[in-house]
Amino acid sequence: MELERRDFMKLAAMTAATGLAGSMASRGSTALASSQPPLPDRPDIPGVTWEKAPCRFCGTGCHVQVGVQDDKVVAIAGDRQADVNKGLLCVKGYHVGMILYGQDRLTKPMARRDGELVEIEWDEAIDIAAKRIMASDKKFGFYISGQSTVPEGYAAQKLMKGGLSNNHIEANARLCMASAVTGFLSTYGVDEPASCYDDLDHCDTLILWGNNPAEMHPILFSRVMDRQARGEKVTVIDIGSRHTRTTERADHFLPMKAHGDLAIANCIAQQLIEQDAYDHDFVEKHCNFRADRDPSAKFDSLIDHDTYVAYVKEEGATGLFGQAISFEQYKKLVSYYTPEKTQELSGVPAEQLRMLASVFADKSQKIVSLWCMGMNQHTAGTAVNNLVHNVHLMSGHWGKPGDGPQSLTGQPAACGTVREVGTLAHALPGGRIVAKEAHREQAEGFWNVPKGRVNPKPGYHTVKMFEQLCTPTDQGGDIDTIWVQVTNPGQTLPNTKKLFKAKADLKDKFLIVSEVYPTATTELADLVLPAAMWVEKNGVYGNSERRTQQWFKMVTPPGEARDDCWQTLAVARRLYELGHPGLKDKDGEYLFSIKDDDGNEVPYWEWEHYYDINVDKDLFDEYRQFTFLKHKNVAPYDELVKHRGMRWPVIETEPGTFKETRWRFVEGADVYVEKGAGIQFYHSVTKDNKAQVWFRPHQWPAEVPDDTLSLNLVTGRVIEHWHSGTMTMRVPQLRRAMPSAYVEMNPDDARDRGISNGDIVRVTTRRGELELPAWINGRAKPLRGNVFVPFFDEAAPINDLTLDAVDPFSKQPDYKKCAVEVTRLDQPSPYSLEDAN
Amino acid sequence: MGKLSRRELLFGRLRAGVSRAVPSASTPPPPDDGPKVAVIQGRHCLTYRELMCSTCYERCPEKGAIVIEQGIPQVVSDLCTGCGDCHDVCPAPTNAILMLAPRPTINEGKP
Ligand code: SF4
Ligand code: SF4
Ligand code: SF4
Repeated sequence: MELERRDFMKLAAMTAATGLAGSMASRGSTALASSQPPLPDRPDIPGVTWEKAPCRFCGTGCHVQVGVQDDKVVAIAGDRQADVNKGLLCVKGYHVGMILYGQDRLTKPMARRDGELVEIEWDEAIDIAAKRIMASDKKFGFYISGQSTVPEGYAAQKLMKGGLSNNHIEANARLCMASAVTGFLSTYGVDEPASCYDDLDHCDTLILWGNNPAEMHPILFSRVMDRQARGEKVTVIDIGSRHTRTTERADHFLPMKAHGDLAIANCIAQQLIEQDAYDHDFVEKHCNFRADRDPSAKFDSLIDHDTYVAYVKEEGATGLFGQAISFEQYKKLVSYYTPEKTQELSGVPAEQLRMLASVFADKSQKIVSLWCMGMNQHTAGTAVNNLVHNVHLMSGHWGKPGDGPQSLTGQPAACGTVREVGTLAHALPGGRIVAKEAHREQAEGFWNVPKGRVNPKPGYHTVKMFEQLCTPTDQGGDIDTIWVQVTNPGQTLPNTKKLFKAKADLKDKFLIVSEVYPTATTELADLVLPAAMWVEKNGVYGNSERRTQQWFKMVTPPGEARDDCWQTLAVARRLYELGHPGLKDKDGEYLFSIKDDDGNEVPYWEWEHYYDINVDKDLFDEYRQFTFLKHKNVAPYDELVKHRGMRWPVIETEPGTFKETRWRFVEGADVYVEKGAGIQFYHSVTKDNKAQVWFRPHQWPAEVPDDTLSLNLVTGRVIEHWHSGTMTMRVPQLRRAMPSAYVEMNPDDARDRGISNGDIVRVTTRRGELELPAWINGRAKPLRGNVFVPFFDEAAPINDLTLDAVDPFSKQPDYKKCAVEVTRLDQPSPYSLEDAN
Repeated sequence: MGKLSRRELLFGRLRAGVSRAVPSASTPPPPDDGPKVAVIQGRHCLTYRELMCSTCYERCPEKGAIVIEQGIPQVVSDLCTGCGDCHDVCPAPTNAILMLAPRPTINEGKP
């Protein structure tokens, strides 16, 4: 698609209309900003119609107003009626409209013929995909995304588990929040945060655990900065291994070594107990204690830390839910983590650890903990999630406005589509799992499929699925086809040479990719399906605070690009036509049948008819029935249409009236809490309405620096770019502001190696090498011994170098720790790759 | 050994392999009609909205020409060479940086 001069003018106009329109006016302001008059809800531009949509990018879940003229998005404004952002947007959000109009949009299906991608017609494309799946329906994997919409996720989930009896469905959220999920499950018995963003408006202290919200969740951080600007006192404590934009605004910075977080959280518990400052009443009423193994099964008396670690090492863990231990045993184990010992393990000075513990000991303070990838992309991710919940539970800083732990997600629908719809290898919608017979039966009931249709055996988790794709069939690689939607694993999987690029040599393996632009993933695709994106299709997202958000299609997708959800349903229909038995329900009806008001089947699988009805509404309202079991009641579709998102559980207080829930498990806020209970963890692992306080020992990362590779590699995002840059690198302003990757170094580490700012250097791990410019004293500064490389740049694929070790429970990889060396180009490479094997 | 100036750093000079066509700057660079100095317009700058940004500061090639005070960038006119880099990289929805002719100093034109 050529970008015509006329279109280009519109883009320029889009920028201008965007302005800082609608921002902040209702937020109070700094003295400097106060001269700005309040702005109207949205700019008044003749001929432009406006509609709501959540921002396409991050898990914050801001709402934008989208201005449309002549079937084009021409303006974006922050939505002042949205609670999340109250009119403000971050730099990505202001430019979100431009992502639709990159010059190289994919507009025609393509199939690989003799090594080249050639254009084909849609009918043929659907046929190729369907026949491939038909031929190997058990060796097929569906890989979707925390950016897929809820209906997209639900359709894929139902096709796989309810149609093909195949559990190999995963989403990229495995790489992003799986450890948060296992953390919530093992602590509270049910997934997702109990708290919400309102807490940020009430807390006295904000604790950031390996978190950089100033760049990654900018609007949430601005909520706190705005309070400070208005003169409110909010103390910000930043625990991390990198001095960031967030650190600049922090009152305390606790410089942490890799995996120090495990020791730090244990140290807070140790201090609370030693000083008898834990909340006796809260612990008594609401907490049990738990560990990987109960030592009393083997030992007659309480055992100490090192004996326990050796014991579990020998006998192995008992699984995600562990075993009950006594408070006395917990106390004895955690007593190991004195401030001095913890200083040794974490690098944080003992006096800072005492200060941190004293914050938790102070009942008059309200504390919010925030975390995201720092704690989740961690080979002890489940453990560290448990430990941070622990300190809030032990200190009783839980369940009051402004007082509680808040896990953030990176992606806009990691919660809505992946965690809630359960698009993971072991899960079913609404918090169910395939391993439980009752859950399978419920799903089979909702889908009206024969008993036994849902396979009880979990499928492959993401890393395993791609490993099986990249393993030759005759060596046991029993995944031969993967369909990727709304994500770019060719750039974002860890150790991509092993887990993705190796597919290039395996001619019998097949990759189907639904995409909007060419990416590292389409490069290896055998079939490329051009997709509609964001407001080119209907959608529903769900953000980090349980807020489900709906939007309508506003503009026509370019060329022949079509909705991902339609693609899934068209392939499903073709499978039905080919005679796949799984596409029939138990009455012989088509599994995805939708009838109109007169009872006639709507042929929505034909693109011309897809928007004859609202397929999203049909799928969403069907999915909604799944959400009641675990009290995750989402609102009906029509109700979501009226709101800027609603936080579940959404309760029908009287017929037709729906009310959202801000704080779960808290009396008065959550209707499911019994009267007089105060706080009730009604999905408790121990079935006694209590949460679990876990003992989880410190452990070192899977790969630690040594003499040859003496530094630690941390990867992550930058504010300008979303993930692999597929969208944001096509927005001129964002691309100019951050055009390419770099390696950020501590000045002392750079000096030791004779490296100065701007030098092109060699970055080496056991898996590969990359040349990058060094950036020293730039936007952020890693602590000594660490380097940081962002992963947005397709031309600098840092994930060729990262490690594919995973957390034992969540199977989430760790992108923040592996051994690395940085050398000048005129010095020999530190590590010969031949020797490495 | 390769070395990039601060101006070049992050500009992807080494990335000949990937050329993603993106429209050129939406605001044309200032016409070359004499010396210029950068001026930051607060009403367009993200930092005035509690949105942290320091892109202009990070990428200014002249040490000290942009300073950040309390999170807000300011141009030190005497050190600014008028190269326009800050203008080129500002990601605010409306570019917050104007390139203006320097203000005449008090003594200018007087003997
Ligand atoms: S990227 Fe995230 S913080 Fe920025 S506007 Fe979008 S949702 Fe909000
Ligand atoms: S014009 Fe050049 S020298 Fe002046 S402030 Fe901007 S980047 Fe720095
Ligand atoms: S780059 Fe632009 S928005 Fe960012 S601080 Fe500088 S002037 Fe402000």
